Amino acid sequence: MAVSTQGDIGRGLDGLAEVSGRIRGAIESVIEGKPDVVRLALTVLLAEGHLLIEDVPGVGKTMLAKALARSVDCSVRRVQFTPDLLPSDITGVSAYNQELREFEFKPGPVFANIVVGDEINRASPKTQSALLECMEERQVTVDGTTYVLERPFMVVATQNPVEMEGTYPLPEAQRDRFTARISMGYPDPGAELEMLDVHGQSSPLDRLVPVAYADDVRELIEVVRLVHVSSAVRQYAIDLVTATRNHPELRLGASPRATLHLVRAARAHAALNDRDYALPDDLQELAVPVLAHRLLPSSEAQLERRLPEQVVADIVERVPVPNPRHG
Amino acid sequence: MRLTAVAAAATLLSSIGLYPLYDSAKWVVPGFGAVLAAAAAGLLARRFRLPVPVDIVAGLVTMLLYVTVVYTPAEALLGIIPTPASLNGLNELLDEGWQVANKYAAPVPLGPGVELMGTLGIGLVAVLVDFLVVRLRRAAAAGLPLLAMYSVPAAVREESVSWVAFLLGAVGFMGLLLADSSEQVNGWGRPVFTRRWSAAAPREQPGAAALAATGYRVGLTAVAIAVLLPTVIPGIHPRGMFGMGGAGRGGGSGSATVTTLDPLVSLKRELARQDDAVVLTYRTNATERPDYLRMYALDRFDGDRWTYTPLRNGVTNPIDGGALPAAAGLSFAPTQPVNTRIRIERRVRDMTFLPMPYPPVQIAVEGDWRVDPRSLMVYSLRDAAGGRTYSVDSLRVQPTQAQLATASDRAPADITVRYLDIPRQVPESVRRLAMDQTADAPSLYEKAVALQAWFTRSGEFTYDLSKQSPKHVSDLVDFLTRSKRGYCEQFAASMALLARTLGIPARVAMGYTAGTQATDGSWIVRSRDAHAWPELYFEGAGWVRFEPTPSGVVGQGTASVPPYSEPASASEAPAPGAEATPTPSESAGAAGASPGATPGARPDDPDLAGGAELPQESGGWWLSPAWIAVVALIVLIMMAPMTLATLNRRRRWRRAGYTLVLGHARPGEASERPPPGRDEPVPQQARDRANAAWTQLRTDAIDHRLPWRTNESPRATSRRLAEHLRLDAEAEGALGRIALAEERARYAPVPADVESLRADSRLVREAFARSVSWLTRWRARLVPPSALIGFRQAAGRALDAIELLVTRLSRPPRRRG
Repeated sequence: MAVSTQGDIGRGLDGLAEVSGRIRGAIESVIEGKPDVVRLALTVLLAEGHLLIEDVPGVGKTMLAKALARSVDCSVRRVQFTPDLLPSDITGVSAYNQELREFEFKPGPVFANIVVGDEINRASPKTQSALLECMEERQVTVDGTTYVLERPFMVVATQNPVEMEGTYPLPEAQRDRFTARISMGYPDPGAELEMLDVHGQSSPLDRLVPVAYADDVRELIEVVRLVHVSSAVRQYAIDLVTATRNHPELRLGASPRATLHLVRAARAHAALNDRDYALPDDLQELAVPVLAHRLLPSSEAQLERRLPEQVVADIVERVPVPNPRHG
Repeated sequence: MRLTAVAAAATLLSSIGLYPLYDSAKWVVPGFGAVLAAAAAGLLARRFRLPVPVDIVAGLVTMLLYVTVVYTPAEALLGIIPTPASLNGLNELLDEGWQVANKYAAPVPLGPGVELMGTLGIGLVAVLVDFLVVRLRRAAAAGLPLLAMYSVPAAVREESVSWVAFLLGAVGFMGLLLADSSEQVNGWGRPVFTRRWSAAAPREQPGAAALAATGYRVGLTAVAIAVLLPTVIPGIHPRGMFGMGGAGRGGGSGSATVTTLDPLVSLKRELARQDDAVVLTYRTNATERPDYLRMYALDRFDGDRWTYTPLRNGVTNPIDGGALPAAAGLSFAPTQPVNTRIRIERRVRDMTFLPMPYPPVQIAVEGDWRVDPRSLMVYSLRDAAGGRTYSVDSLRVQPTQAQLATASDRAPADITVRYLDIPRQVPESVRRLAMDQTADAPSLYEKAVALQAWFTRSGEFTYDLSKQSPKHVSDLVDFLTRSKRGYCEQFAASMALLARTLGIPARVAMGYTAGTQATDGSWIVRSRDAHAWPELYFEGAGWVRFEPTPSGVVGQGTASVPPYSEPASASEAPAPGAEATPTPSESAGAAGASPGATPGARPDDPDLAGGAELPQESGGWWLSPAWIAVVALIVLIMMAPMTLATLNRRRRWRRAGYTLVLGHARPGEASERPPPGRDEPVPQQARDRANAAWTQLRTDAIDHRLPWRTNESPRATSRRLAEHLRLDAEAEGALGRIALAEERARYAPVPADVESLRADSRLVREAFARSVSWLTRWRARLVPPSALIGFRQAAGRALDAIELLVTRLSRPPRRRG
């Protein structure tokens, strides 16, 4: 539909629509009644980001992570975070090989295309921070040697709300590295009934076969990078982020990395909507999942039980959409 | 202190409205002195912090001291302390003033008694106002005594108080309210800033100044409207008419003249009275049968009935020494002085116009009587004629037929303007009838004679007192063309009207016939002798009486036909025609009377028809140029926003490269295509066009009161509008196209070139109009808010400027301490 001078992006978008449609269909065969969540997960995947799924136990966080991982034919590793998990359990260790008489690097679970970190906030902060380097720089340094991670690389972490027992809150730096945080929410009664029927016999996850190759995903990521973000939209992203920094109800605003993530996610969102340019609408839709988990409410806001999500929604309501001609 | 001064000033300004009560302005000085005395008393009482009741007592005592000092210092102790003698003197003065006030209508001669009354009145109001405003802090209530003072002249005088006096009084009262309010704000002590002054005002200046500026704005606007509005609304024109048609009493205008009964109504009643009571008796030195006794001259035909123009109750028209103004137009006609001594029966009530022969020259009568110089009607605003005896010197005008026939057609302009006026309601048939009946008569006089003959001699008309008094012009037309039955009122009214259509100045006179002569030589006039007759104007003879009503047994019993109004031929010879042998003195008249004898002798004859079409000033107020201008202005003002909006729209499209296409083009039609050959790169033009469409959409949405949010992208806006308004598919599609074009123009690397935008825009506008209430729809069409924004900004700037100016001018001197 789009009139574009960039012919490849036009074709790329067609391919993207097809592949993403397949992946979405696959995930939705497992996670029923949550199209928004699935869509956001896909957005984060295409934006080369990491996804944090936060919710109470038992609503399908792990299921979503595993379904996403399994629908793409790529390496998937799952890490169950527990309080006694060590950093080396994630990154891998150098072990002494008796035969070769040298240290040999045994890659940890982080060496995969999709890493599912289950209940990430049950691990100690030290272990959590082991993920920091690999998430941002897509590399692991062990004993002075740096190993580059494969692409695509995506961490899908699940966590329980902080108030739950036996949890450590994620450090700000770690949270900032997640592109988006989503919460699953309880399924609606119809979907839950259907789930009972399906899950009663066998896990749908078992029947899930990959619908795309890792190469496909890499290609899609390239297509997303071509999506046009006009200066007005970029300005809008900055306006939104700046508003979080000046907001009286927030102690900590969003970082420049948040701006980056926001625009990147907006690209993916636009591409998923078959558009070769990003809109303020994309930013508006993504602002809460992308920004809210990075923000710290001020003590007044905490007293009033104002959640960062509400503050971000307020900001979206208030910041005017830039019109390039009206300045 | 400041409030006291303002209260005194307000009383002074309001008292100016008393000026019409007095014939000189000397009352001003003692009146103002009284105000100052009251203010001083109030200040003193507050200085010593006396209790509230003492305050007003002190004011009253001060007033007493003041009038003692001014009017009876000789009798007073030390010139100031009242003694029984001085009080007595004051009482006598008041008595005298009361008598004068009762004797004369306003303006009354200003003697010491009247002056004392005025001074006391003003002083009491001043004491009250000062007490209410300063002591009780009830500035609004102080308007009541001020209004009472203002309404005295307004009630007494027929013409209300001049607008200047009203303006002064209103401004005084406004000032009082303002001073009181700003005083209160200052006492509150918390500045209230308007947006301008929040930044600009020095901090130590309390916000009362800005508040006062707003107050001035409101107050001055209100006063201006109060003064200007009545001048464009006919009903409450200061010189309101109290014509006698219809209501008769000029509802609440408070004029003394209005107590006169409708003369035509009373005429009918008197004629129909069964007892046939004696109204008046008189003696006269006239040798022949005396003239009619006239009371009223009805000079206005208002379209339905004859009335008289409201009498101007000015200073100049009291009867001064009994001499009356000269009768209009009377020059060469032979006259004979007549003295008539008239005694009105005591039982006669409400007779405020004196019956007397026309034209009166001199009158000796007791009481407050006035004369209307134009009609020589003598009337009173307070006295009645019942029981009075008065003596009138009058002239008996005896023009010859020749004189009348050769009289100039050219009456003075003041006569023709007033007495030829025919309202537009009078149907053309009346005019034709008059022409038909007088076609053979060469001169105006002969036409008049022919008219009278038609009424009295043709046998077509019948005197019938049972007919209803004519209420509308249609009744007169019916009388003239169909029923031909009526009494003197129909005859007189019709003849006067017909005469006017022929170009003869005419009016209807009312009064009594000469009556019947008693054995002792005096004349007795009874109520049945009440009569109406036409008076026609001929240059040289002035107003002369005609008698169209049948007389004698079959008509008005005591009516008499004046000799000059008889057809010349009929009086001289039984057979009409050229065979008549006129007496030498009448040869000129007979020659003129001969039909068609000397057509060239009256070169201005053809003008007769034209003469009837003289100025018609009473053609309805809504046709006056001022009103047309006002209406046009209103229409222009109403249309300005609409026009502006349309122009803006056109300009927007033209800038975006759309040619002006009239008519309804559908989306995608070739006519919508922008002119080719533009050098601009296509993307830029597409962007401009999308922008134009979007701006227009926003304007339309705002005009139709649809919410417009700045935090919405084009896409979100169009979705919300479509859902909110439940647009149909076509309009939704158009809206979507506009939104998409704008979205791509803003955010996409390459804008979409949508050609149907202009048609889409129109579609959407129409859809908007359909989806909102009719009120909103018409508001959007006639006064689109988008166009008003500009006006509003300009008005805001203007008001700011005024505010700045007023505040600068009225900034009170900085206080010490």
